[in-house]
Amino acid sequence: MAYFKLPQGVRDILPDECRALDGAEAALRGKFLAEGFSFVRTAGLEYYDTFAGIESAVEQSKMFKMTDKDGKLIVLRPDMTLACARIAATKLHGERARLCYFSNIYDFSAGGNSEREVAQAGVEIFGEAGARSDAYVVAFAAECLKAVGVKDFIIDIGHVGFYKGLLEGSGLSEEAAEELRGYINAKDEVNVEIALRHSGASERAQAALLALPSLFGGAEVLSRAEKLTDNALALSALEHLKKVYAYLAETGAAEHVSFDLGTVKSLSYYSGMVFTGLAEGVGAPVLSGGRYDGLCAQFGRDLTAVGFAVGMGRALSAIGKGGAKQC
Amino acid sequence: MLNVALAKGRLADSCADLFVRCGIRAEILKEETRKLVLETPDKKFRFFFVKPTDVPTYVEYGIADIGVAGKDTLLEAGADLYEMLDLGFEKCRLCVAGFPEMKGHLGKPRLRVATKYVNTAKKLYYSRGEDVEIIPLHGSIELAPLTGLSDVIFDIVQSGGTLRANGLAVLEEVFDISARLVANKVSLKTKAAEILPLLAEMKKHIGE
Repeated sequence: MAYFKLPQGVRDILPDECRALDGAEAALRGKFLAEGFSFVRTAGLEYYDTFAGIESAVEQSKMFKMTDKDGKLIVLRPDMTLACARIAATKLHGERARLCYFSNIYDFSAGGNSEREVAQAGVEIFGEAGARSDAYVVAFAAECLKAVGVKDFIIDIGHVGFYKGLLEGSGLSEEAAEELRGYINAKDEVNVEIALRHSGASERAQAALLALPSLFGGAEVLSRAEKLTDNALALSALEHLKKVYAYLAETGAAEHVSFDLGTVKSLSYYSGMVFTGLAEGVGAPVLSGGRYDGLCAQFGRDLTAVGFAVGMGRALSAIGKGGAKQC
Repeated sequence: MLNVALAKGRLADSCADLFVRCGIRAEILKEETRKLVLETPDKKFRFFFVKPTDVPTYVEYGIADIGVAGKDTLLEAGADLYEMLDLGFEKCRLCVAGFPEMKGHLGKPRLRVATKYVNTAKKLYYSRGEDVEIIPLHGSIELAPLTGLSDVIFDIVQSGGTLRANGLAVLEEVFDISARLVANKVSLKTKAAEILPLLAEMKKHIGE
């Protein structure tokens, strides 16, 4: 046995990189505390059922699974938002909470451009609803990226409700909708068109779904999208994003913001606005988050919620590429 | 500067023609050279020549902002990318092929399928609930049924010349394949000002 080997997808962080990571965490710690967030450290081992038994289950293939002494299946923490939602719903008794963390999550299936052990720094806000709260989170996410030293970045905003709304009126089966979702997410207009051709959806619904892959860019995207549908859910999603954008413009954070209504991830706990932080030179998001009202209810107490997490490894590589902030 | 991953060979030549029609100074792609990285004289584009199956990797990691790859390569790689345009060239089909007498016997239990598209074949047969044995190969796939290594092959067919010359035939056409323009999911947003006008221009010239 070669003792120096590590399993695939994990690595040691050695002094030089650790200093950079600690520096970034120190900058974020200051930001988080100044905004009234409290740190939590959630259990590293959890029951499989906590993540598999909820509506927006974590995929089985993504979890590191072990069998506990009593025969129950346990997993290495696969997701911090779920862990925080569980805590807010079951262990904190207030109507509001602002939690934050520095923690690793584990993704069994990761490979290619992502690691299996991911260092995250994140915040989760419970009990604050509405467009102003969403705008606050987006602006704070931008502040956090700046604090870490990421210079050229975009916060790309979407909304789960817009796609849901378009589907509502389309009459597509669940299976067909899932196939379509994959194509839309890949901005693959060729296959979106083929999939829609035999779907039986109305012409207007088809046109709107076909437009989704190209509905990204500045705030004008929202006005463009408005003309495509009469669905109430889809329109209220756009209305909401417009409000969020207006608040962001007030705070000056709008310069970092773009929109993409065609980002439609698979079944997730997100219920409203979603966003990712994109930094030049890093091929994958450095930050991701969104609103997940309804998730806490699955753990027994209904709380509105919104949050995001920074992927520290990717954020650091963004700094490496864009030139570290001099300080 | 926009970084572009191109597959070496015929695909790169077709791409060069399209780029030139779009007003990009991509003539350099046509020159005989052993260089792996080429820049246009105006420094607006940098081209990498990579193995066709590596195009999705370079683009997924963001080393290349955009790339051109066959749909067969993309299906097989399953990379997390934006698939922006069907360029319409390098057309072919992903087919199940074998001896003509195999027609009608494709459902036989534990069918042996030789292919270099292992992931795509697995997904295809899994979705049909068929239990097959996938035999991974890297080249001369047609040899597998001839030598008895497999019952059929799952491979791209362009003219069908190699199949005919070896007494084989297409048994089932599964996917239409052509060259696609792919983009990194971050670059499309962070370099939108460079990529979007290019895509619009390319759209106009596809099929010329």
